[in-house]
Amino acid sequence: MKNVRNFCIIAHIDHGKSTLADRLIQACDAVSVREFHDQVLDTMELERERGITIKSNSMTLYYEAKDGETYRLNLIDTPGHVDFSHEVRRSLLACDGAIIIVDASQGVEAQTVANLYLALEHDLTLLPVINKIDLPAADVERVREEIDEDLGLDPYAAIPISAKNGIGISEVLEGIVEQLPAPTGDPEAPLQALVFDAQYDSYRGIVLSCRVRQGELKAGSKVRFMHSGREYLIDEVGYNGMHREKTTSLPTGAVGYVITGIKTIRDVTIGDTLTESARPADAPLPGYQPAKPVVFSSIYPMTTDEYPELTNAIEKLALNDAALVYQKDASAALGFGFRCGFLGLLHLDIVQERLKREFELSLVLSAPSVLYNVTLKNGTVVDVDNPANWPEPSDIEQVEEPFIKASIMVPENHLGAAMTLCREHRCATIQTNYLSKGRMEVVAEMPLGEVLFDFYDKLKSATRGYGSFDYEPLDYRIGDIVKVDILVHHERVDALAFLAHSDKARGRAMHYSEQLAKSIPRHQFKIPVQGAIGGNIIARSTINAFRKDVTAKCYGGDISRKRKLLEKQKKGKEKMKLVGSVQIPQEAFVSVLRTDTP
Amino acid sequence: MSPGPGSAGLYVHIPFCSAVCPYCDFAVTVGNAAARADFVQALCAEIALWTDWCMPIDTIYFGGGTPSALTTAQLTTVLTQLHTSLPITAAPKIFFEANPEDVTPESLQQWRGLGVNMLSLGVQSFVDSELRSLGRRHNGAQARRAVDQALQIGFETVSVDIMFGLPKQTVESLRESLLVVQELRPQHVSCYQLTIHDGTTFARWRARGKLTELDEDLQADLYGEVHTGLQQAGLHAYEVSNFARSDAHRSAHNLKYWQHVPYLGLGPSAHSFDGEARWWNHRDNRGYIEAATRGRKPIAEREQLCAADLALEGLMLGIRTAEGIELQHFKQRYQVDLLALNLALIEQLIERGYLQAKPGWLTPTRAGLGVADGMAAEFALE
Repeated sequence: MKNVRNFCIIAHIDHGKSTLADRLIQACDAVSVREFHDQVLDTMELERERGITIKSNSMTLYYEAKDGETYRLNLIDTPGHVDFSHEVRRSLLACDGAIIIVDASQGVEAQTVANLYLALEHDLTLLPVINKIDLPAADVERVREEIDEDLGLDPYAAIPISAKNGIGISEVLEGIVEQLPAPTGDPEAPLQALVFDAQYDSYRGIVLSCRVRQGELKAGSKVRFMHSGREYLIDEVGYNGMHREKTTSLPTGAVGYVITGIKTIRDVTIGDTLTESARPADAPLPGYQPAKPVVFSSIYPMTTDEYPELTNAIEKLALNDAALVYQKDASAALGFGFRCGFLGLLHLDIVQERLKREFELSLVLSAPSVLYNVTLKNGTVVDVDNPANWPEPSDIEQVEEPFIKASIMVPENHLGAAMTLCREHRCATIQTNYLSKGRMEVVAEMPLGEVLFDFYDKLKSATRGYGSFDYEPLDYRIGDIVKVDILVHHERVDALAFLAHSDKARGRAMHYSEQLAKSIPRHQFKIPVQGAIGGNIIARSTINAFRKDVTAKCYGGDISRKRKLLEKQKKGKEKMKLVGSVQIPQEAFVSVLRTDTP
Repeated sequence: MSPGPGSAGLYVHIPFCSAVCPYCDFAVTVGNAAARADFVQALCAEIALWTDWCMPIDTIYFGGGTPSALTTAQLTTVLTQLHTSLPITAAPKIFFEANPEDVTPESLQQWRGLGVNMLSLGVQSFVDSELRSLGRRHNGAQARRAVDQALQIGFETVSVDIMFGLPKQTVESLRESLLVVQELRPQHVSCYQLTIHDGTTFARWRARGKLTELDEDLQADLYGEVHTGLQQAGLHAYEVSNFARSDAHRSAHNLKYWQHVPYLGLGPSAHSFDGEARWWNHRDNRGYIEAATRGRKPIAEREQLCAADLALEGLMLGIRTAEGIELQHFKQRYQVDLLALNLALIEQLIERGYLQAKPGWLTPTRAGLGVADGMAAEFALE
């Protein structure tokens, strides 16, 4: 146990976490050169493409230290984005220490601080590292100051490195061995192993990632999930190298994989504790904390016959994305789908992308929404995230919307732009903090619903990419929230309804009606596209009647081409969604729901 | 749509032009004298391969390209071969396309001498700036002179081709051309909307933003102006794009396409229809010549039409004609009861002003002619 280190790397997005992980893996020779490709831990295609880590992942490295001993280093990768603090939390529970990376040119960012607090919450020992020292803009001394002032860590313990160029990697490995603690725990005590991740393997079924806190996890033994109460026989245990390395047991302090023959996804809950059925522990480990979704959207297949595929895909995704919650949903315009809850917008985006790429599905997503607390005149309180469930306005006494504490770090010269942006997004309070030379923090209390759409993008462009943004949930506050219906040719399109603050309702309704008017083809009659609150029309666009075909000359009797065009046109019509007498192409839904609102 | 096929038609594609217009996507090449001679030889060889065609032919249409790119001697050779190998009726109607720049009193006399009944002149516009933007080799004055001379020579029908929907065209500039038509009084006008086809110079210009297509409303306005202007010239629409002084001046050949009557197409890219199948020739000249001179029919592809295909074509073509579709005849010919299958739709189309309320017929109004394809896509056939 004294030769084991369980650690993770935490960092702001793009500060080089995956690159450092790759270097450590290379230095320990865990992966042969042939197998090595950059960012080994980021196995999902999407992760590699976006350069961010979405899913936690772990790998066991064997390092021969300067003291002559060989150490088993369990590197647990963590996601860097604010949406995934839930996953970070799970990963941290499996660790005893953490490397905290700070970019030598950008310095400490909002998420670095957020993750640091998470790590401290879990009593992790921290090893600071200053990365990208090779960059011309690197300012190691200034960053040391920030590590001292913003993070409260010993600035001189920070190791300057360039993960990209392989500078300082052996110092980091020595630092892990010397400064990070070995796991503790009673090997003789009843088994307690934390399930912190799960993957689906088409041959082996469900593969769990576990951290053994006490006792021993033996292949062939019978175990119980302490929260769900389900019992299974363990088929196999081992360590995650580049391939699975099978062993007979995982001792106290070990991080490895467990295969139990679980076939159904629903039987696993990440954060549950495994114990031995024959000699169970008294209590489960802390860490069982179901993620609370804050952003909601309905997902529909592009064509209704893809619904079974979507069902299967969502179930598989939810297996290793414990934060994704979903339930069946139906729309008159778009058919069957799922109402899903997400940790944030990036989470929504990632789920959507994974469904598209890993499962090759074409999707339509409804406008994202937050969860409102609605008090009715009869005194009952209902939680509503779906416009379809919005009570009659006459029955509503008051509505409360979730607020967040947004923390935005910007260079001084972009402070004004950041503050203006917050004000435009209905911030309740705003204050600024001087962080260090040239760096300011804007702390604003604002509605979560206001950052759902394009807040982050707008911040990036208003600050030339230098602004960073993080938030934490605050409380619920009274707000004038209304349901806006979208009507096409006087028919309500359920999938397009949305909930918004009354100040923002008209702007968004205008945007919707204009986008729809652009993407719905002309019909033989004039089509009004309207936004309405109850019976009150607040926005309107018109699609003029269709007046002229493109009548190409069917020259020299080329009728075949014309007939084929017509057949295509007829088929296209069949694919469109019929709302009343108007055919709406799927792309119209996509264009309206994807584009960000003013 | 009048019932029953009479005789078949014959289309001959002459793939040469003095230059290729930037909007053209027909099988066309410039070709030198030698190439033209080779082509005539191949065409005669192809004609000779069709001795098994047994439907009598009473219309012969020379299109292209520019048939006027061939010499009178070459055209005579082709006509002789046609009469030798194919069941041409005693006095076939001959249709001939020519460009204004090829028109002289002599050439007109020669074409008249070949027996041409209807001469179609590729005028496109009488406005110089529009002609330049189309890359045409004639100007407005030349076009006017060509039409005038053709009318004086005394063809049965002189037809003028006009295009609308040209980049930067306005209702006023189109009206200028239509006023010239009113003044010259040809017996027939074909008026096509410019379509930008992929692979043409215009498509490349559009991609680079050098050219923009007119919006749908303006196109519709222009189309309305075509009807009004030609009406004033004494010309009435008998099909979406075709206008004639009287029934006698309608293009008997082109009517065969819309009435679903068989026709044989010869020359590169030419299409044929025998009532059950369609086939078409190789598009490129070289491939065409090679096949024809080796004694093989230069057919590129063939398509057998099922009952549903035929019914869809019957609908799509019939609804383009001003006369429209006679429902009883349609039912007999295609075994599809359009009325029973589309009762609500037909009522709607009448209400919206696209179909006339004419019992037993689906007859488009003027507005309906503008959206004939769109209407065809609405109908259920099964």
